[in-house]
Amino acid sequence: MGDAMALFELDDVTFSHNPTLPPVMEGFSLSVNEGLRTAILGANGAGKTTFFYTLTGVNKPQKGQVLYKGAPVEYTKEGLRNLRSEVAVVLQNPDEQIFCSLVEEDVAFGPLNLGMSAEDVEVRVAKALSDVRLTGLERRPLQQLSGGQRKRVAIAGALAMDPRVMIMDEPTAGLDPQASMEVMEIAEKLALRGVTVLISTHDVDLAYRWAEVSDVLCKGSVEHSGNAEEFYSDAERVYACGLLAPSVFSINREVSAMHGKDPKPYPRCPCELLAKFGGSKRSGRVRLVPAGPEEAVNAMGSAMKDMKDACSCIYGPDVRRVLGGSADVAFDGMDVCFSRAVEGKDSVLAYDPVYEPFVRGQIDRLKEFGFDVEAV
Amino acid sequence: MDELAYSSRMVGWSPLGKLLLVMALLIVGLITQSILVPLVTFSIGLALMAYSTNMRVPLILSLAILEAIAIMILGSGMISIMGDKSDPALWEGNILWFGIHMTVDSFNKAWLIFFRAIAGVTLMLSFASSTPIPHLAQALRSLHCPVEITELIVLIYRYAFLLLEKFLVMLEAAQCRLGYNGSMTAIKSYAGAMTGTFIFSMELADKSEAALACRNYDGVFPVFHPPKKMSVKWVVVSIGLAAALYVIGLWTVGWIDMAELFAPLFGWVMRWRCSS
Amino acid sequence: MADTILEARDVVYSYSRKGPKVLDGMCIKIDKGVKTAVLGSNGAGKSTLFSVLNALYKPQSGTVLYKGEPLSYRHKGVIKMRSEVSILFQNPNDMMFKPYVEQDVAYGPENMKLPKDEVDKRVEEALFTVGMEEYRKSPIMKLSYGQRKRVTLAGVLAMRPSVLIMDEPTAGLDPQMAYEVMEIAEQLHSSGVTVVMSSHDTDLVYSWADEIRVLGGGRCVYSGPPEDFYGDRAEVQRAGLMPPSVFSINEALSRSGAFPLEPLPRTRAQLSVKISGKGDAYGRMHVILADPETDVPGLIASSGLKGISTGVCGISARMAAESSGFKADFPYNGPENCVSKCMTGQDSVLICDPAMLGVAESSVRFIEANGYGSIETDVVNPGLSDRGLSRRRTGRVIKAVCPIAAFRIASGRPRVGMRKRFRRVLQRRKPERFATSWLKRVYVLS
Repeated sequence: MGDAMALFELDDVTFSHNPTLPPVMEGFSLSVNEGLRTAILGANGAGKTTFFYTLTGVNKPQKGQVLYKGAPVEYTKEGLRNLRSEVAVVLQNPDEQIFCSLVEEDVAFGPLNLGMSAEDVEVRVAKALSDVRLTGLERRPLQQLSGGQRKRVAIAGALAMDPRVMIMDEPTAGLDPQASMEVMEIAEKLALRGVTVLISTHDVDLAYRWAEVSDVLCKGSVEHSGNAEEFYSDAERVYACGLLAPSVFSINREVSAMHGKDPKPYPRCPCELLAKFGGSKRSGRVRLVPAGPEEAVNAMGSAMKDMKDACSCIYGPDVRRVLGGSADVAFDGMDVCFSRAVEGKDSVLAYDPVYEPFVRGQIDRLKEFGFDVEAV
Repeated sequence: MDELAYSSRMVGWSPLGKLLLVMALLIVGLITQSILVPLVTFSIGLALMAYSTNMRVPLILSLAILEAIAIMILGSGMISIMGDKSDPALWEGNILWFGIHMTVDSFNKAWLIFFRAIAGVTLMLSFASSTPIPHLAQALRSLHCPVEITELIVLIYRYAFLLLEKFLVMLEAAQCRLGYNGSMTAIKSYAGAMTGTFIFSMELADKSEAALACRNYDGVFPVFHPPKKMSVKWVVVSIGLAAALYVIGLWTVGWIDMAELFAPLFGWVMRWRCSS
Repeated sequence: MADTILEARDVVYSYSRKGPKVLDGMCIKIDKGVKTAVLGSNGAGKSTLFSVLNALYKPQSGTVLYKGEPLSYRHKGVIKMRSEVSILFQNPNDMMFKPYVEQDVAYGPENMKLPKDEVDKRVEEALFTVGMEEYRKSPIMKLSYGQRKRVTLAGVLAMRPSVLIMDEPTAGLDPQMAYEVMEIAEQLHSSGVTVVMSSHDTDLVYSWADEIRVLGGGRCVYSGPPEDFYGDRAEVQRAGLMPPSVFSINEALSRSGAFPLEPLPRTRAQLSVKISGKGDAYGRMHVILADPETDVPGLIASSGLKGISTGVCGISARMAAESSGFKADFPYNGPENCVSKCMTGQDSVLICDPAMLGVAESSVRFIEANGYGSIETDVVNPGLSDRGLSRRRTGRVIKAVCPIAAFRIASGRPRVGMRKRFRRVLQRRKPERFATSWLKRVYVLS
């Protein structure tokens, strides 16, 4: 991790809400690198939220330095405004950050505060709402929306700032499994667009699967930063940090131990686990259908005609809107589709074209496990 | 209420213009001595409300108007029976220790006040049901009302509902734990829920402050899709309408005599008219 | 097999007269003593259903039955029912009525108009169950979210409900805290409380629940064991859910021909066992029964078990480890981790709450019943309870009664024989009957 990439650098930061209270961050040093999917892990009260507020300049450290793009954060009105126009936060509870009564009013809140012109704001709001799949609900009062929808409004509010860094505090908390899948797809999309996404979560399975970098906080300081496996391999440390190892990691470790094998390479998602411990010799065919919402129906139809008995899978919000009702697997389609390939069965994977590098990346990762997906 | 206001057909109208119109009509209704003017303003208010809600006046608004009418009937009733003792009485009597002395003047005055009041309520409601609080705040701001006050209105409005919701949930939790088993217990539970809500409000304040900062809030709630600015048209219409009504009011004083209207119904003898 | 304790029949409920029907012809049965999970997407009506079952909301039509009797919405009937059926709300802050822990826990029992002694006793017992005894006098404001959650759980337990409904008990908790809450739920279950919970954590629920109820569109769309539901992918998708990862990995592996579909593993460790297949030499699992006063390191040293990996299971075991400064290798998921350890050919030690023996047993049984070999088990200190009386910090005398001890008192045999007998007992008896009652029988305050 070269210094050139570091977007945020925290050096020996100490912060407490009140001089009489013990500090909630102490000796906190961490750098956040640009363009990497970063997970912030830690038990309740480890200081995750405090850390996020330090990044956005809400908390001014009593000691130590916060650097953004190499320069110390200026705690002036102007400096903070510049910082916050690039760093957006989505809080755990959407009700805490929704301030207006209409969807579009709330999404426009951030950009309007930056003093942007009405036309620019209009464009941004429309884009943000389409990103979170809320187009058509612009003038809906927020009280009428469900919890999952409100969460997406909060995310849209952050997206409308067109941020360079997106911080999401427990984005999947309180959401049902499908809604959390959708939120993670949004996070993935942002990462592919070059936004640096930071996610804090208690869901270690989800973080393990998603993140490239895992930063573990414990009692107000950084316990680990970097590779997730390195951290989870040290069971004692994991327990001391209030966490548990992700189940895919544990299964791999246990099975490897019972067979006396090297746990490497580490599978991170079910399809990789399958590729490692079983699976047929021959890969099932996977028909990749990157399709925009307009051509998706036709593309999917012709793909399904070519492939008999294939399972149709979906990844990405736009394709889901069009095909969600008819597909066999509308959520988590990518993993299911590659799992089936490992089983030796055929499937069709339709996804938004944005996700192309992500899908290719997964195919490459499966190669590490000695499995070649036959992608058509 | 905000929900209603945003869905109103008049939401795009200038809030200041609406405010001016409503105020002008209110004032004219108050200064006039003719009973016709409040009647007219009342019907304007009703018409505005009907238009604003697309002819579907919601239950809650009709209830509010009905309640206002009920209160006003009571009030005007009181006025009507406390007439000047020197005037001849239409109706005299005693209810318990309360002496009743209704005169023609007091009766007419009561009607006037009644119409003024319900006209006022309807006009205000038609304004409130078509103007969301952030729009109102913006209108006030353009009147050079201090930012602190306008923002406070918006914030209080927003958090009052959140806190109320919280309070209700706590009361439910109290019920689950038998918190109403006996009147003393019930009082204690209410107190507990109130302290809980209070603590919650403090925690919420902390969190909201940080959240607002993260979203670059700098002391002013912006309005996306702001309503139109007040144009000269609004001023002309409001003032014109008010002036016209005032003139009509002067002209029509005493045209409608409610006492006379009701006389056959109660068999009152209009003595003073005969004598003149 | 089981009696229905709570039932909703054709219940229709909506929050406002013209509003959408949140419950629309809901029919659901909760069986006594069955660990039931209520699943459904956001807005499926889980919380509303709970409120209806607790007589907080009166349905517009349909009936709610408790123990076969329709609910009476009169004051007396409701009081009686609510003192037996309790809800743990999702957000602990909604249930905080008093400034101090002790007072808040006492709130429920006091409202039941119990005598002061009884209230005290229950508060102590409840705080002990959730492991918050030392915070008894603390102000609630100073507690963390997880601690508050436990205090509210204690507040509900102090009413000694026979049915406990938990709305998203693990939401917002970190993995360890979530695991502890699930452990408490397990212990409550083994003490005879009917535990019902809703959760979005599919994996966690799958490893815990005997039966699930899936809600969708205001109705109950599935009722039965979880495996049958997750087998139908289309149905799962329609309900807004996802299959648990353990389930889908097992399914995929079996389809690819690695092993047969059955037995269906419920937990991660069981899946690991299944993937590994039958080993040649397994280690032995030593069980140390623990009450909060047990000197764990001493016992391990005296039994010659030093250097062996240790796991912890159950609250009193956790407290024992903590108070004697013992650091276990597997403080969470003890039984499963110990079994995995044994499968690698090494021995393991499980420090176990007597009430959690059933759980430990089922972990071992999965291996044996499915032909992956057998793991020898022995209890190091079956005499925990016939030591009989142990003194706790409060100075009260506590007597622990546990079936193994009872067995040993009866047989009076040495340890080796014990082990065989123990295993036979485990095999013969059903776990529900075997596991001791936690609240009512294990610690009898005298």
